[in-house]
Amino acid sequence: MTTNHRARRWAATGAGLALAVSLAACGGNVGGGGSDAEGEEFPGGDPITMFVGQDPGGSTDLIARAAAEILSDELGVAVTVENKPGANGALAAQELAGEEPDGHTLMVYNGSLAYITPLASEDAPDIADFDIVTGLSLDDYVLVTAPDSGFSTVEDLAAAGRPITFGTTGVGTGSQLSQELLFAQADIDATAVPFDGGSPTLTAVLGGQVDVGSIQLGEAIEQIGAGELTPIVTFAEERPSYLPDTPTAVEAGYDVPVQQSRAVFAPKGVPDDVMQTLRDAFQTAFEDEGYQQFNEDNLLTPNELDGEEIRENWTENLEKYRAVVEEYSIDLGGE
Amino acid sequence: MDLAPVLNGFTVVLEPTNLLYCLIGVVVGMLVGVLPGLGPAATIAILLPITIGLEPVTSVIMLAGIFYGAQYGGTITSVLLKLPGEASSVVTVFDGHALARQGKAGTALGIAAIGSFIGGTISIVALSFLAPVVASFALDFGPPEYTALALLGILLVATVSSGSRLKAIVAACIGLLLATVGRDAFTGGERFTFGNLNLADGLDFVPIAMGLFGLGEILYNLEERHTSVQAPAKVANVWPSRRDLRQSSGAIGRGSVLGFVLGILPGGGATLSSLAAYAVEKKRSKTPERFGKGAVEGVAGPETANNAAATSSFIPLLTLGIPANATMAVIFGALLIAGVPPGPRLVTDEPELFWGVVNSMYIGNILLLIMSIPLVGLFVKILRVRPAILAPITVLITLIGVYTVNNSTFDILLVIVFGVLGYLMKKVGFDPGPLLLAFVLGTLLEDSLRRSLLIFDGDALGFFGRPISGTLLVAFLLVAFLPLIGKALPRRRPAEHPSDTKELV
Repeated sequence: MTTNHRARRWAATGAGLALAVSLAACGGNVGGGGSDAEGEEFPGGDPITMFVGQDPGGSTDLIARAAAEILSDELGVAVTVENKPGANGALAAQELAGEEPDGHTLMVYNGSLAYITPLASEDAPDIADFDIVTGLSLDDYVLVTAPDSGFSTVEDLAAAGRPITFGTTGVGTGSQLSQELLFAQADIDATAVPFDGGSPTLTAVLGGQVDVGSIQLGEAIEQIGAGELTPIVTFAEERPSYLPDTPTAVEAGYDVPVQQSRAVFAPKGVPDDVMQTLRDAFQTAFEDEGYQQFNEDNLLTPNELDGEEIRENWTENLEKYRAVVEEYSIDLGGE
Repeated sequence: MDLAPVLNGFTVVLEPTNLLYCLIGVVVGMLVGVLPGLGPAATIAILLPITIGLEPVTSVIMLAGIFYGAQYGGTITSVLLKLPGEASSVVTVFDGHALARQGKAGTALGIAAIGSFIGGTISIVALSFLAPVVASFALDFGPPEYTALALLGILLVATVSSGSRLKAIVAACIGLLLATVGRDAFTGGERFTFGNLNLADGLDFVPIAMGLFGLGEILYNLEERHTSVQAPAKVANVWPSRRDLRQSSGAIGRGSVLGFVLGILPGGGATLSSLAAYAVEKKRSKTPERFGKGAVEGVAGPETANNAAATSSFIPLLTLGIPANATMAVIFGALLIAGVPPGPRLVTDEPELFWGVVNSMYIGNILLLIMSIPLVGLFVKILRVRPAILAPITVLITLIGVYTVNNSTFDILLVIVFGVLGYLMKKVGFDPGPLLLAFVLGTLLEDSLRRSLLIFDGDALGFFGRPISGTLLVAFLLVAFLPLIGKALPRRRPAEHPSDTKELV
């Protein structure tokens, strides 16, 4: 258990607790070398922990696990994924901010937490409090409807002659923002019905409980392929290669690009040489064929930008969204 | 119906890992069935964390095995020691132990095992046909239907559960209140979080279940002074005679049907159906005076019914994502941990999980039948393990276990708080079951109600405009107000059966 004395500050709070921590940590520290990293070259044989602010099994979790695997291969130390779900990832981010900035604790951070959640909630974390290692990939939202709804374009929705109901995957998500922006710009009278994640939203659209819904492409592609769902528009900047025949909202005349983006974060103050090692390791690791196949299988568009570019992009996004949300007086939080 | 997924389910079960976990599940179930106090819901709650890392199907196969295995195990102590190991075996004590005193313990155990097997099997077959039918309507289940179903479920749980009705309703209300903690899913506003991010997503179900059922039960049991276990009656001749079989065949048939139906109902389940089956057998019998003095039907009926119910209570969970009783609520938690959201698309999206679990029950029941008769002596020995040894080990497993689910120390705190609450509730006669179920259904109720009203544009009458939600709401009104109307009207039939079951408990 020598590897654990450093890893958790609160391990000393009680015997039972310490046992619990050691047990959990032992589960992952397969390659733990045993010595402290101080004075040695990073990573110095010590394992890396990667936080995920979402439940196991979700798309963020899958991406984190794929990234952890290639990073582990590249650096030669164990990279353990630790799920700390809660508050759209804010809980994990809060915990990350309190960790040592030694490169041994990282987190897969969702773009929506950086540029959408702040529009709905005041206590969202600020990305200025973190160092950003690298971008990972982009996930697209697609507006879908059930075939028997009779809708196939945004014009159809505008011409429905009645208020539209739209399912979102939750408050403060890209799913909500994308549709609010679209319907506001198209001047369609529409009511948001928030569901608890992608799968329930998909079910509601399939069953005709709501007229349309905006869902991440990877979650809807199977039903789109089987003809059980009709894609209306995607909210990507350019047509995603996985859905070449569906226009983007921009093409349809509405300025609403909304994408989910993911990046690797670290606590603020990581030494330059450690950061460089991590960035280099990721850039080499991204070449891994298995990882590229993973992106393709999950309909993810690689977005392996440098950390600082990610910061610029995300900050820009937040400002842009804040401006349009104000312009159309959309309230993501309120009723 | 398409048989391919059903057959695929068998290939899933026959994988060595799954067979092994099925065996582990039924053995553990049998053990906790024998041990008084620790019930299947508590055991499953405590074991939830070890399912992390297992395939979802494997984990549910094991947990389901614990549930129906406990129904078998509970019988043994009821018959031999007059000590029901399980709430669902309480009525078996009356005739089972009477038979044992007459030197016919073997007959009672044999009939119970055969009845359990038949009841379980009939229920699996019925489940195999009914579940896909329910699931085919699943897409028609929108927010209004879930609203109605959750309402009906909470009402039935509060009114049908064993024990005081008022206390059950109080417990259910506490559960509903606890469900409101956390960030409002519609406005993002914080409710009762006190600025604590750990509470932003509401209270997590797993620590509550582990606290209320696991820790609470252990604490409560510690307090009970276990009087030294009396020498068990001798077991001879486990095969019931042909006459016994003939006498109980009707009871087994009726028990299967009754158990199956009551198991599906929210708030129903193994305990209720065993009580009801006993009442039915006593009522139908030409010689009701034999009951309590060693009537085989009095063992066959309830034991068949509780197994049938244990199986059929999986239907609402696996087809609609609605847990019908506390144990199902815990298995609901297991599915969430495994990353399989229980819901209407489970049967079509995860046929291997669904049919794997269903078909594992055939295997499990056969294993139980084989084990229950020759291994009786061994299981009785388990009773000698002192609570002073068992309890600290279980507490430790619970606390370590809950940490591993979310890697959160806050959850350990929650388990302790809810453990104390569960202990106090049991001490003053509150069943924690309705609390947990209302907690699970409360979130569903609130979210579905608000979604429905958004869809209906605020028109509450919209619920009655849809066939399924309309019917369910009418049923809700009937269940809620019929007892009141019945009280107001002059009584025509003096012997109404609810009072009949009451006096048995």
